[in-house]
Amino acid sequence: MKKAIGRIYILIIMLFLYLPILTLIVLSFNDAKSMSVWTGFSLHWYEELFQSRLMMGAIVNTFSIAILAALIATIVGTMAVLGMPALRSRTENVLMGINNIPMLNADIVTGIALMLFFLMIGAPRGYTTILFSHTVFCVPYVVLSVRPRVNKNTNKLYEAALDLGASESYAFRKIVLPELWPGITSGFLLSFTMSVDDFIITYFTRGAGINTISTLIYSEVKIGIRPSLFALSTIIFVVALLVLLIVNIRQDRAERNALADIY
Amino acid sequence: MGELIRLEGIVKSFDDNVVLNGIDLSVDENEFVTLLGPSGCGKTTTLRIIAGFEKPDEGRVYFDGKDITDMPANQRPVNTVFQNYALFPHMSVGENIAFSLRVKNKSEKEIRDRVKKALKLVNLKGFENRRIDQLSGGQQQRIAMARAIVNEPRVLLLDEPLGALDLKLRQEMEYELVRLKNELGITFIYITHDQEEALTMSDKVVVMNEGYIQQEGSPQEIYDEPVNAFVADFIGDSNILSGQMVDERVVRIDGVDYPCIDGTEEGFPPRRRVDVVIRPEDIDIVPYGKGLWNGTITSKLFIGVHYEMLVQSEDGKIEWLLQNYDQHDVGEKIGMYVDPENIQIMHKPKSEAESAIEIDL
Amino acid sequence: MKTNLIAKKPYITPFVIWIIAGTIIPLISIAYYGFTSKDGGFTFANIIAMFRPDHMQALGLSLLLAFVSTAICLIIAFPMAMILRESKFGKQGFLIFIIILPMWMNFLLRTMAWQVLLERQGVINAIITAVGLPRQELMNTPGAIVLGMVYDFLPFMILPIYNTVSKIDNSMIEAAYDLGASKKTAYTKVILPLSVPGIVSGITMVFIPALTTFVISNMLGGGKINLIGNIIEQEFTINSNWYLGSGLSLVMMVFIIISMLLLQKFDKTGGANLI
Repeated sequence: MKKAIGRIYILIIMLFLYLPILTLIVLSFNDAKSMSVWTGFSLHWYEELFQSRLMMGAIVNTFSIAILAALIATIVGTMAVLGMPALRSRTENVLMGINNIPMLNADIVTGIALMLFFLMIGAPRGYTTILFSHTVFCVPYVVLSVRPRVNKNTNKLYEAALDLGASESYAFRKIVLPELWPGITSGFLLSFTMSVDDFIITYFTRGAGINTISTLIYSEVKIGIRPSLFALSTIIFVVALLVLLIVNIRQDRAERNALADIY
Repeated sequence: MGELIRLEGIVKSFDDNVVLNGIDLSVDENEFVTLLGPSGCGKTTTLRIIAGFEKPDEGRVYFDGKDITDMPANQRPVNTVFQNYALFPHMSVGENIAFSLRVKNKSEKEIRDRVKKALKLVNLKGFENRRIDQLSGGQQQRIAMARAIVNEPRVLLLDEPLGALDLKLRQEMEYELVRLKNELGITFIYITHDQEEALTMSDKVVVMNEGYIQQEGSPQEIYDEPVNAFVADFIGDSNILSGQMVDERVVRIDGVDYPCIDGTEEGFPPRRRVDVVIRPEDIDIVPYGKGLWNGTITSKLFIGVHYEMLVQSEDGKIEWLLQNYDQHDVGEKIGMYVDPENIQIMHKPKSEAESAIEIDL
Repeated sequence: MKTNLIAKKPYITPFVIWIIAGTIIPLISIAYYGFTSKDGGFTFANIIAMFRPDHMQALGLSLLLAFVSTAICLIIAFPMAMILRESKFGKQGFLIFIIILPMWMNFLLRTMAWQVLLERQGVINAIITAVGLPRQELMNTPGAIVLGMVYDFLPFMILPIYNTVSKIDNSMIEAAYDLGASKKTAYTKVILPLSVPGIVSGITMVFIPALTTFVISNMLGGGKINLIGNIIEQEFTINSNWYLGSGLSLVMMVFIIISMLLLQKFDKTGGANLI
């Protein structure tokens, strides 16, 4: 009985989460522009999507900004984490407090603040300002995901490597980096997804004439929803599904291997 | 056997916290030296200064006559077995051991041979491809040893290497370590807070507390002739009373004078405040009123050969620890007698606060 | 006490530059504009402007809708987290996967999906009329906005709560039963207090974006329902009155800080309850 209630509950949540997405997927193959009447199967909304120069440009911008922002944030954040133990703990706490601000603050405030900053220093808003703004909200996530990996033990392993004659850079590459690697990769991926997903901060820090997927969707939705956006939704959903599936399967396999090794 | 390592006037503080207060230490070639002391006594910092992980604020470190104070850790001819081992978790056992050889760009064949030899030396033949997390604590300990000795250092530093093992394994490893040291013929500098480990294995024990070396000597010397109450208490159980010399070979404890065998010649002139140490096995039980002190037995434990008893003094100020072969009952009132030669007079332990405080009578 | 050999102070330099240029100075500029009038003098007018009736109404509505949608998320999420906690390992992974997947879709597209469903000519109305009922005005209502908020932010409530409840040791609950607690007592006295940190971070992750959104209200409110986020956005994009926009942002930040402090207090007492 209790189980049945649980199942029904999960089912309802699933329907709530996926029916809207499913609707978009179905409508993306609809011949007509209608949002409610099925008039036959067609792929021409996909054609429209791929022929849209605006959309292709936005996709390129989105991913190049995401990769660069994630890369820069990962470097800045990881270096920060490595440097922090050298500071007095009071200074460290202050820095960590400031680090958390972009994460806790509302995106709209962060976006506006950055926009005003760019206006004040007279930086023309465009690709670079978006990129910098994205690094600003990505760095905190990198810091938070790498920091737990740097502990007493990391320092000890580093010492052990030096003790065994390794140079500082060798010890760093062979010992410290592999220790931090899981944190670094998750910080990078988190940054990447946050950047791809961002709308609000991009909205305030972009200039006219430059779009990411998010800002383009927003301006198109404002004019009137075209089914090519349904096609875009379908593609994003399928890509996300595949990526997550692959990640999950790999994790599963790694865990199973680990288990198999132990027993 | 010549001198291999010498520390001269090492002072080290972290922030405002003085950890080492001027350490002078000499270690001979092929010696097994143990730095013994409670946590925070400075023993680990001393070791880290020898390894090159810390720079002393003052003082020099010499190795084989050469000043190595400013030499970085990776160039020193010493290797360390770390507390909790610090094995590289992402490398196999073989790769862990091979690390220092790879750093030196040795040939694959040489690496393979030497790893094999090192594993054999620690009795873990054929473990090359195991993963670190598949090893038991004892095995990890041995791998840490193998990794540290594979490069044939002249000195092996061991930072509480047995601390994480259970009692039985620890005792086994004590023999192992001594065997290994004899086979390798190198110097061991060993850190522990466990007096039994220190006494069992070492050629020389260095007792440290509060950043000072309290005493150094052979295990026998340390046990039989502790120089102060701290050492006496740290090495085995003791009754420690505060006292003051009142005359040649007379010490006053709690207002009563007792004869003893120490005086100015031994460094205890009248008026000097001292610690009086009485080993529990040196206290004889005599009929009530017939001894130097009276008390009531408050608890009794049978431990193997003898009984260990706690005796509350009549005024309730002192709790004596006694060891005796005869059985006495809890609640029994007894007298206690100690031979003057077993009333050991000792200097107050070295520490800044207490050094050279003398109070008039 | 040890010297950390990896840590070197210079490593922190880029980070310090980043937080100064990316966080501190931008926040100072918002404060500067917020207290400056159009002609360049110092003024409180932009702050006091929050008391204008239209602004007050928007703020009130924002607080109300954010509160309602956060509450709905919490009510849905807690049982879900408990079900997740109690389900078998493999199934658990699958369910978490299901919850995370929509988060990977752009939230504008997710919001747009509800527009498609709720539209006058949309899917739901098509079904309603097919059954023979009159067409409903679903879009451009506060209800539609709440629905959008719940849909967009629900995973952010489920995941942190699940993270904390999944770490509650089963023996803790068994201990409660062992000490004679009823199921209800075990839940209210053991599980609930232990899940407070998760609930608090869940609330933070839902309430603040809900309070400050302008996108959801724009898309599902059809521009007819103004939340405080919309007011601020319009000052920047349409009216180009950065001074007023900044002033209102500052006031909104105060609300964010207050809600965080309140939540933190909760978290602390929750922690105290554990001891």
